[in-house]
Amino acid sequence: MRLGIARTVRLTFASFFIQTSWSFSSLQTLGFVFNLLSGARREHQQELQSIYPKIFNTHPYMASYIIGAILRTHDENSLTPDRIDRFILIAQTSFATAGDLLFWQTIRPALLLCAVILGLKIGIAGPVAAFIAYNILHLYHRIHGLCDGYEKGADVIYVLRSRRFTLVQRVFEFLGAFATGGLIALATTDFHALLIVPLCLIFVGLLFKRIASVIIIIIAIIITLAIVVI
Amino acid sequence: MIAIGAIILGSLMLLDKFAFGEFGISQPIMAGTLLGMVFGDIPSGILVGAGLQLIFLGGLPIGRDIPPDGPAAGIIACSVFFIARPGSSTGQSLALALLLALIASIVGGALEIMARRFNDRLFKNYKQHPACVTRNHLLGLLTAFIRNVCTIAPFLLIASLVPIPEQFPSLSPEHFIIIGIGIGSAHALYLFSKRATFPYIVIGGLCGLALLVL
Repeated sequence: MRLGIARTVRLTFASFFIQTSWSFSSLQTLGFVFNLLSGARREHQQELQSIYPKIFNTHPYMASYIIGAILRTHDENSLTPDRIDRFILIAQTSFATAGDLLFWQTIRPALLLCAVILGLKIGIAGPVAAFIAYNILHLYHRIHGLCDGYEKGADVIYVLRSRRFTLVQRVFEFLGAFATGGLIALATTDFHALLIVPLCLIFVGLLFKRIASVIIIIIAIIITLAIVVI
Repeated sequence: MIAIGAIILGSLMLLDKFAFGEFGISQPIMAGTLLGMVFGDIPSGILVGAGLQLIFLGGLPIGRDIPPDGPAAGIIACSVFFIARPGSSTGQSLALALLLALIASIVGGALEIMARRFNDRLFKNYKQHPACVTRNHLLGLLTAFIRNVCTIAPFLLIASLVPIPEQFPSLSPEHFIIIGIGIGSAHALYLFSKRATFPYIVIGGLCGLALLVL
């Protein structure tokens, strides 16, 4: 059973708005309902509106997998509301963890590090290449996630074991690590560059002690002021 | 006039942070490149964007956590730099851009919390009128845009209306990048240092050193 091109395009466009009305009490719920309605068949729309006022939150790029699966269950009437609830509960947490780890903690920082190094060394081609690579990857998950979710239904959760997650994460971890070392290429050869060492040690200490990010920025402001004045 | 244009452009770019798409265009290095194109100086845009990107590399929007607003800081730093530069030295405008951007990141984080609290009303409206899903949901775009304008406008107006005094301290591009590398490498080590990745950090460091010396 396939989703169809028109529905895939509509749902992909709607997925760009998944977090538009994100709030502390509802998280992504409104975005989730909006996405379901944009892909639901006309006869299911009323039913979907009344079934899903519950709280929903997952990684924005991974929501497509769950939305695809839910649409399939409605098109086929294959799961009871209770089982759909249980599926959403498990899937949103699993995909959120996988997405945070894959995109926020690995792919995005690795590509941004590459963009910074290449941008400063060779110019505009660096950021443009990183931007294209990043968008290919997240659009792949958004579009393919919808199709996979619709094709596999509630079994879509097993794609988390697939190579598109494990292998890609490993590759970008190595790329990120390589770019971490490569940051030294941006320094200068004069003695001021030695300032990098204490700065790095201070902030590594703060990060590993899990100090609040606002305090880290305040410390960055104080250090910047000191460097500017001296 | 330039400041107003930059406020509107910056606010639209900042929608990418969470309200629309999340394509990465609001990340400082991308925003810096784009603003550099708009202001006709791409290398300077990349320089300012790169420095801010390194400082905010680790701002991870995981779960309900709202870190300081790195994307807003990047957009503000680049815009302030380009707006302030004609009336002062490069070093002075860079120092002003960095300081205002760091302050703006904290202000932006606080305003984001307010905007998301305001979005609670949209959800309450939806619960009362379930048929108005699209209207209530897409009103979030307006909330986000207003929040973006409120974050960016004060800093760009200060930069365009208040001239930088002559005795204002200066920050050279080299020192700016050194601050960025110091904080950025800490973030990168925090994210990528594991036993399995250690050899890659060393190889990357050696390649970086070779590139630096050559």
